[in-house]
Amino acid sequence: MRGNTTASLRRLLSSPSSHCTRCYSTRQTVIEQNAKINAFVHINPEPDHSVSRAGALSGLKVAVKDNIATTDSPTTCSSSILKTFVSPFEATVVQKLREDGADIVGKTNCDEFGMGSLNIYSIHGPTVNPFPLTPNAGPSAEFEQRSAGGSSGGSAAAVAMGLCDAALGTDTGGSIRLPASYCGVVGFKPSYGLVSRWGVVSYADSLDCVGVLGTDVAAVKRVFDRISSFDAKDPTSTVLEIRKAASDYAKQRLQSFNQSNPLNGLKIGIPQEFFPTELSNAVLNRFRTTLRTLKSHGAQLIPVTLPSSSYALSAYYVLASAEASSNMARYDGIQYGERKTPSLQTDLRSVSSVYSQSRSAHFGPEVQRRILLGTYALTADAFDNYFLQAQRVRQLVKDDFDAVFSIPNVRGDTKVKVDETELDNSSYGVDILLHPSAIGSAPALSSGTLSNSSLDAYVQDLLTVPASLAGLPALNVPCPAAVDMVAGDDGWPIGCSIIGQWGSDELVLGVGKAMSFL
Amino acid sequence: MLVRLLVRRQFIACRRARQLHSLREPKEDPRWPGYEVVIGIETHAQLKSRHKLFSHALTSGPKEDSNTNVSVFDAAFPGTLPKLNPKCVDLALRTSLALNCEIQRRSSFDRKHYFYSDLPAGYQITQQYAPLAKNGTLDVHLPDSSTPVSVRIKQLQLEQDTAKSTFSPRTLTSNIDLNRAGTGLMEIVTFPDLRSPEEAGAYVRTLQALLRAVGSSDGNMEEGSLRCDVNVSVNRIGEPFGTRCEIKNLNSVKFMMAAIVHEIRRHLDILATHSSVSQETLGFDENTFETFKLRSKEDAPDYRYMPDPNLGTLVLSEERISSVQSTLPELPMQTRQRLLSSYGLSEKNVDVLMKLDSSKDVPVDGDNSATPGPIQFFDELCQGGKRNPKIAFNWMAHELLGQLTARKQSFQNNTITVQQLSELIDLVQDKQITGTSAKYLLRHMLSNPSSESTREIAEEQQLMSFASTEPPTNDGTAFPDSGYPPSGSPSTSSIPPTTTVESAIGLDVLVGRALAAMPKEVEALKAGHKGVMNKFVGWVMRESRGRADARLVKEEIERMLRKDLD
Repeated sequence: MRGNTTASLRRLLSSPSSHCTRCYSTRQTVIEQNAKINAFVHINPEPDHSVSRAGALSGLKVAVKDNIATTDSPTTCSSSILKTFVSPFEATVVQKLREDGADIVGKTNCDEFGMGSLNIYSIHGPTVNPFPLTPNAGPSAEFEQRSAGGSSGGSAAAVAMGLCDAALGTDTGGSIRLPASYCGVVGFKPSYGLVSRWGVVSYADSLDCVGVLGTDVAAVKRVFDRISSFDAKDPTSTVLEIRKAASDYAKQRLQSFNQSNPLNGLKIGIPQEFFPTELSNAVLNRFRTTLRTLKSHGAQLIPVTLPSSSYALSAYYVLASAEASSNMARYDGIQYGERKTPSLQTDLRSVSSVYSQSRSAHFGPEVQRRILLGTYALTADAFDNYFLQAQRVRQLVKDDFDAVFSIPNVRGDTKVKVDETELDNSSYGVDILLHPSAIGSAPALSSGTLSNSSLDAYVQDLLTVPASLAGLPALNVPCPAAVDMVAGDDGWPIGCSIIGQWGSDELVLGVGKAMSFL
Repeated sequence: MLVRLLVRRQFIACRRARQLHSLREPKEDPRWPGYEVVIGIETHAQLKSRHKLFSHALTSGPKEDSNTNVSVFDAAFPGTLPKLNPKCVDLALRTSLALNCEIQRRSSFDRKHYFYSDLPAGYQITQQYAPLAKNGTLDVHLPDSSTPVSVRIKQLQLEQDTAKSTFSPRTLTSNIDLNRAGTGLMEIVTFPDLRSPEEAGAYVRTLQALLRAVGSSDGNMEEGSLRCDVNVSVNRIGEPFGTRCEIKNLNSVKFMMAAIVHEIRRHLDILATHSSVSQETLGFDENTFETFKLRSKEDAPDYRYMPDPNLGTLVLSEERISSVQSTLPELPMQTRQRLLSSYGLSEKNVDVLMKLDSSKDVPVDGDNSATPGPIQFFDELCQGGKRNPKIAFNWMAHELLGQLTARKQSFQNNTITVQQLSELIDLVQDKQITGTSAKYLLRHMLSNPSSESTREIAEEQQLMSFASTEPPTNDGTAFPDSGYPPSGSPSTSSIPPTTTVESAIGLDVLVGRALAAMPKEVEALKAGHKGVMNKFVGWVMRESRGRADARLVKEEIERMLRKDLD
């Protein structure tokens, strides 16, 4: 069984356009393979093929992160407080997948409510990185238990293991790109506002994005193209005319590409702030190798500076925690969710003493930590120094990005129209930015430091949060393994991230596709 | 001298402080001589919209079964998002414009956090930092003063109403009704410009009338669609404002005024002992008519306001504001002025119409195209200047409304159309029917609603007047000479149906009969006893069941007697 699987996986991975549905075609195999990595927390029964729908995603096997509402399976958000919760309505993205004929394989593991970078804060237990089980690991790889990354660890692992063609994830500060980097798959966080959040359980609304993970850019794009549309149910969903204005810019730039070698003349900005001391040598080396390859294909590498990025991580944790403390307030065990029966000594006249028992019992440690942090940041005494300050930093981060891109930000207050001369004038700007997705490869799960020293875990997001704060499209593609392995390179996957201007998602995906053929 | 100087200096300091807060000169109140009472009011008015503020669930009336109008958003289910209802914005805009507010082209929503069972999301969406409208005024007329008090409005903001939670102390359980959760509210905040419980009461009543007139809220305090929080402080005249205390959730004008009076007395008692009032939030006990402490300033909760990350900025275009402005219904003060000046009605009559109009149902989503209210009805009666407004008023307010009241109905139940009543008035004016017949006809039409014209109904009912000159069409032998009950006022007694034959009888025939029936009286009349005339008129009126015009009857008698004499 094992040999067969590996062989088919090898076959699969040799051709980027093929899909894994051929290998794990039955749910039984999904169940068996999943037992090794704990990527799925719920696996749907085999769909009735006689009634399977024809559509743009017909036959495509898609996994859905467990913080996205589905009516036919629980939506636990990996939290004890929702461990038996089944949503009475379906998320718009899931509805779209079904309408297009996709086969929803099941719900994937994640950090509780998306809060975490290693998929270790889950009531379902951690997701194990499947890399040693994949052919890329090589025959000599021993099965080492490493983190799949988080929070969309289950989605990344399910894709890497070949249990589905694509998976929906959510990305608030790097929750798609980081696990994609650790598991060696493609992970895409679209521009904020392109994909509906109706039915997506809020962690931090102003940052939450639904995105796609897949074995290759084509699979990701195929799903993204279907789920990216205006939704009246989501007040932050971008209206058609702004989508069009942005995509016109991206298309114009894409069309100017040399079709036989799209990388020729591409202006790639390398942001100097994205190489902090925490960055491992292995990452640096592989990233440099990638840059050399790009340059040899005619890409123009331009060093740029995004000075406010250094403050982005701090600002991110203040804002995300503040919003989280607000969004988590609804889990009181009254209307739905788990409830702890108040102890006999409880003063039932005091609402807070009843609520606190359910909340203390059913929220995990990381969620509790962020609620406390966010609650503090919103208190009257701290609001100006923390929340408002973080909002100012967020604006500076946005401004930094706008200053380096050749494509203007159409979401600004002034109406921007596609203008030929304007593009020429801004020719000094870069088309995309490229940076390592993470400071290292996947950390070991056994490492005691993971859970004890939370601050270390927060550093995992260091490189991914700036794009989140600015709401920009960001795509993780695996860096090819270096030919000359430097000391410290463990051979595990490392990814690099492509960031584009807001709304230039097609351009980002186009560049990602070109890079994967290198 | 030194004392005077000090007093003077203090006075100037106070004056300066006062100018910051208020434009009003202190006025002595005999109930608390030497003291000044300062009041500010926060009103929560439920928007009369079909749907809730951020969800598609319907709004609920007080009689609806609990938890029937609830969407997943109202119950704060995970994954739900708010969607601003533009109708609610328009209603709030109408109100803001009616209150002469500066509309904020950009406003935004904040989350106010607290844990309570009436708040499923753990926060209320409100507009704490950037409200929809600021700096308005409302002129409040007081019965004992010719000049109105101009109350400054600090701000008007949109926010969500909470669920209704009822705690049973016996079972120690709370019952939660989510019907109200998420209904749109306007919070209307005044500056501390009110100076007595009566002014506060008049302010709330004026605001209530304004909200109803613009259609933004039915302002029903009994049903909880209008609630007030009142800030009260007391200071010695000439000194700065005292420490204010807030009385929460007052749901009638009477209770509000009683709560203010109690609070003033409480402050006066404290000030009399030369101690100082401490800032508190209070409740009002409707049984004892006393305020009670809910919490002190130190226990004030930190609501951890945060900008709502989903709703963003509410941007209002100039076009939208002017479109709301152009469709703004007439405000109560304007209506009043118009009724007084263009129709020449008395203050008393205008009051009747205004009061009548204020009880009309407020339509949802400000849709004024529904059934006309009483004032619109009156306007249409007077349209074109054909009818005398005073006569129209009498028919509408006395006859029609009187009949409705006798039937234990209100104006909303009126089935008579403006056209029907107009025609009725015209028929009377043109002497085609008598006033008495018209009153009977009105009653008949209320009992038998029909879309026929008044003339058609009058003809069917044979209530058209006799024409004095109309020649007799038959000899009148078929006319029954008795059998009619002696009728008093025709408008309060019933009249049996008539036959077709008698309607054809002319006035001259009837008068002839009257003369023939009372020969003695004829002699008396001939002898110059004018008083006997009324006997004949009464006889004819009775026989004709009010269809005859008394003046014409008199003329006809005089004509016949003259003919006789000749």
